[in-house]
Formats: sequence, structure tokens, C-alpha cells
Amino acid sequence: MGITSLTPLEAVLVALSGLVIVFLMLGILCLMIPVVSRLTTAVAGRRTPATPAAPTPAPAPAPVPEKADPGAAYTGQVALIGCDEKTAAMVMAVVSYETGIPLDSLIFHRIRAL
Amino acid sequence: MQFSFTQVLARILGESGFAAFLEDPRSLIMILISFVLLYMGIGKKFEPLLLVPIAFGILMANFPLTGILEEGGLFRYFYFGVEHAIYPSIIFLGIGAMTDFGPLIARPSSMLMGAAAQFGIFSAFLLALALGFAPAAAAAIAVIGGADGPTAILTASKLAPELLPPIAIAAYSYMALIPMIQPPLMRLLTTEKERKVKMEQLRTVSKAEKIVFPIAVATLVILLIPDTAPLIGMLMLGNLLRECGVTDRLSDTAQNALCNIVTIFLGLSVGCKAVADTFLTWDTIKIIVLGLLAFLLSTTGGILLGKLMCVLTHGKVNPLIGSAGVSAVPMAARVSQVEGQKADPGNFLLMHAMGPNVAGVIGSAVAAGFMIKVFGGIL
Repeated sequence: MGITSLTPLEAVLVALSGLVIVFLMLGILCLMIPVVSRLTTAVAGRRTPATPAAPTPAPAPAPVPEKADPGAAYTGQVALIGCDEKTAAMVMAVVSYETGIPLDSLIFHRIRAL
Repeated sequence: MQFSFTQVLARILGESGFAAFLEDPRSLIMILISFVLLYMGIGKKFEPLLLVPIAFGILMANFPLTGILEEGGLFRYFYFGVEHAIYPSIIFLGIGAMTDFGPLIARPSSMLMGAAAQFGIFSAFLLALALGFAPAAAAAIAVIGGADGPTAILTASKLAPELLPPIAIAAYSYMALIPMIQPPLMRLLTTEKERKVKMEQLRTVSKAEKIVFPIAVATLVILLIPDTAPLIGMLMLGNLLRECGVTDRLSDTAQNALCNIVTIFLGLSVGCKAVADTFLTWDTIKIIVLGLLAFLLSTTGGILLGKLMCVLTHGKVNPLIGSAGVSAVPMAARVSQVEGQKADPGNFLLMHAMGPNVAGVIGSAVAAGFMIKVFGGIL
């Protein structure tokens, strides 16, 4: 049977300990994730890419000039040619939806208005 | 014996539900409440997938003389799934299958914002006690602050079954109202400069990490707090079905067909408990008010931790994503995105806010597990 009555002090202690438990639990998970990531990367026999990759619409893609070298290494930037950031984000979302490929698995090099 | 049409008519009317309304007109009030909820669900689109079945359940449960709630009645069997934590757990399976934990894995510190946003649960618990609720009932009411319907329903069914309908209705109504409840508080607690903070891109999360994550979380959380097993276990199973890449059919079923079927039963079961005797009380009003306060306090907790992280990282974290620490996936994350773009149209916070958002789901399940552990429910 659980607790049926609480004094004010006990109630505050229950609330505080509950909050501490939640922080502790999620804190442990927070520490566990990088460890698990390293282990899985090690097992997979490759390092986690150090550079940010998948160009999700999260950050604002900086417009770059049209004559950007198409052969250059991918840097995480999307070249926006004749289109604004909002439209570009929408295009990315539509492509992801239509192809069924998650945004974090897609790489956009350039979006150009026709 | 002579047939008398008027006598037969009088008898049919005398034994009908209409006549029974005269004996207890409170059922009529409940039916009116169900109409209002139907309007909110259908007309205003407030969480319609759940509010419509709940409202219809209330309507059905308050028709007199149906026997639908009694031993052998249909709703009696439907309610079995709530009573034994079956429906909320299956809904969590669906949520897990719909959730991408990638943003959380990419930025593990989001976990802390998900934890801070449970502040509303524990402060609402104290407020509910101050308003005279028994500890178990106060705990059940407080979980509304987690902004997680299935978790609130599960906790209420274990700790205060008589309060289940108002708790479920408050939880889902406030979840639907998040775009109205959170923004004023977000603007109040953050500066223009903070809202304009642009966050760095998240790193790519490998498939292996996404597969190991649900297994590791389930193992760790359930071993530490066994009472969270039904919710965390099913949430992580759903996510594993999604990420492992070899169970697409199961993932699809969990996300769509199964989740939809259970949503119907869950809504009807919650609605059918809303009868006048237990619903038309001052406690219901108190629960509605406490639910709102719990939401506001949870949002506050998330934003304040976001501000702290903003300071600690020298302005690399936008505090607006902290408010997404209340579960309500993905609505709360969308609100962060909208508020961020209002401050700076080039600010894209959605993926960053999804981290705290999904952490909030885990956080509220842990908080609920703690409450059930302390106040004696047995899962």
C-alpha cells in the first residue's frame, strides 16, 4: 500500500526527490549516449564524422555565389541560387517527404530557382 | 385483453431514457459537456483523434438505462485496457515507432531540458496537496504537467481512477492549446537576443547508434526504475522496430493501424468513466486549473534550464528549445520553431527542439514511474 498522508515537509521532500530522480535518470542517459555512440562507432570500425553533415533545414543555409565549385568537398552549406531560405527549407522538406528519405539522410548541394 | 395504442405508447415513453432524465437531470449536463467537447474536437480540431472518442464515450455513458457500464456491458470490457495499463502502453509503442531520437542522440545535453520540464509535475503535486487532494490523487493530477496524455492516463488509472476523465480531458485539451499557452511565457522569460540565437548544425547520427539507443535506454531506465517498464519498454520497442530496418511492416502497424485502433478504445474508455457523480464536482474544476498551472510551470522549468545552458555554452543554445521539454511531440517543438522564426526569420530551431521534446517523453515516463512507485500503484 502506498503513502496515504503527508506532512508539508514530507510532501516537499517527495517533490524534490522526484525531481532529483528525473534529473539523475536523464543525466545518466545524457552521459550514456556519447559512450554508446563511441562504442557503436568503434564496433562499426569507423569514426564518427567530425564535421557536421546532413543539411537539415535547422540552420539557415548561407547563400553562396552561383559559381561555387561543384566538385568541391561538401561542407554542410547549401548554395541558394535565386531562392530564399524559407523556400529552400520547404523544397528540402518536400523532397524528403516525396522520396521517403529522412532529411538527415539527404544532402543538398545547391537549390536553384528555374 | 384489449390493445390500447395510447397505453403502449405511454409505457414505451415511461420506460425510455427520456423519462429517466427527469429522475437525474445531471446526465443531461454531462451530455451537453460531451457536445461541447465534440465541438472542440471537430470544429476547433483540438486533439480530435482523442477528444472525439472521449466526447462520444461521455455521451454514451450518460444515456440512462443502457447498462453499458455495468457488468457485462460493452464499456466495462473496453475499460479493462485502461485498468491494466494496456492502451497507454500500446500508444507508447506507436509513439516510439513515430519518433526519431536522432536529434537527442546528436545533442545528449537536450536530456537535461527534458528533465527540467518535469518541474511542473512536482510543483503541481505540491499545489494539489495544498488544495486538499489525497497524495495519490495529487500525484495523478500533477502528471498532467508532463504534457503526455498516455502517461497521465496510466498514472491516473493506477493512482486515482475516479479522477481519470477530468485528468485525461485536461491533459489532452492543454496539449492541444500548447501553441496558445507557451508563447507568451516564452517571450516573457527570454530576451530578444536570446531568441535570436542560431544553433549549430547537428551531427549525423549513424544507423547503428539509432539501433543501439532504444535497447540501451530500455535496459538502463527499466533496471533503475522498474515501474517505468510498461511505458519505456513499449516506447523503446516501437523505436527499435522503426530503426532496425528489418521490421518495417511491424513499425508501420505500430504507427498507424494499431495506434489508431487503440486510440479509439482509449478515448471511449476514458469518456465512459465521465459520469455525473464523479465528474460534476469541484474537484474537476480544481484539476482543470492545476493542469494549466502544471503546464505553465513545466514550460518555465524547461526555458530556465535553456537559459542556463545558453549562458554555460556562451550563447550557443537558444533557450526557446527548452520549452519543448514538455512532451507533446511534436507540437511543443513546432512552437519553439515558430517563436524562433518570429525573432529571426532565418532561425530554424525545429530539429534542435526535437531533442528536448523526445527527452520530455522519457522524462515524464520516469516522473510517472516515480509517482506510481511512491504512492502505491502496482503496474
